[in-house]
Amino acid sequence: MATDPFETEALSYLDALYRTGLRMTRSEAEAEDLVQETFIRAFRFREQFTPGTNLKAWLFRILTNTFINQYRRKAARPETTELDDVEESILYRHMRDVSPGSASPDPEAELFDNTLSSEVKDALEALPEKFRTTLLLDVEGFSYKEIAEMLDIPIGTVMSRLHRGRKFLQKRLYDLARDRGIVAARAMPRPAE
Amino acid sequence: MDCSDCLERLYSYLDRELRPAEVTAVRAHLDECGGCEENFVIEERFLARVRDCHTEDKAPADLRMRIVTRLRMEHDAPR
Repeated sequence: MATDPFETEALSYLDALYRTGLRMTRSEAEAEDLVQETFIRAFRFREQFTPGTNLKAWLFRILTNTFINQYRRKAARPETTELDDVEESILYRHMRDVSPGSASPDPEAELFDNTLSSEVKDALEALPEKFRTTLLLDVEGFSYKEIAEMLDIPIGTVMSRLHRGRKFLQKRLYDLARDRGIVAARAMPRPAE
Repeated sequence: MDCSDCLERLYSYLDRELRPAEVTAVRAHLDECGGCEENFVIEERFLARVRDCHTEDKAPADLRMRIVTRLRMEHDAPR
């Protein structure tokens, strides 16, 4: 069977589309359905794609729109759509409390290196839908402008969602690290042995 | 550029969204201000960690085959 360059390139983004779908839907089965639907639509409307332009962005736009349309229809009760503001200066100050006795020259930066991959993914999936979608598109390497076009929102909204979404993730990961004892709890002296 | 101007541009800088002149100004400030640089290092490591965790997932091996089969069916089906 002759190879179709459109198909070959589109399929090269399969992993990226799948993992984004997985974080969006939080379900392997739904992510597979979403990605399959994305490819079917992409092929059905392929005449609308201008060769030489960004196919990855075009596919992600279809993925995102399909997800948002299905998701909003399915969600009987809308989830929390806002995020509490995280006080940044407090967060940075807390992060500097990470393993104060560490020999590492950069202990606070290691806080995130020591988080489990599953914790990072859970934290991403815990973000409200609009923040989650914006952050995922950023992680997949799209520019502010590309994300703004895909989601039909102003660039300033992309920036504020990224900012607040990232602070939410940091706080969650910091809290987990503190619970697991990666962050030294100075206020809690160890019991005498 | 002072510390608050610099921190305001932190994400735009790390996301490579600043104009070249602003990049130069941020770098100049970071060179002379130890305090701001620490925040940039924390944020850079954080963004890298999120990216690494997210991108380690791969599509199931049979998904590609199922999609290709489905596309062929769509293509061959009478419209």
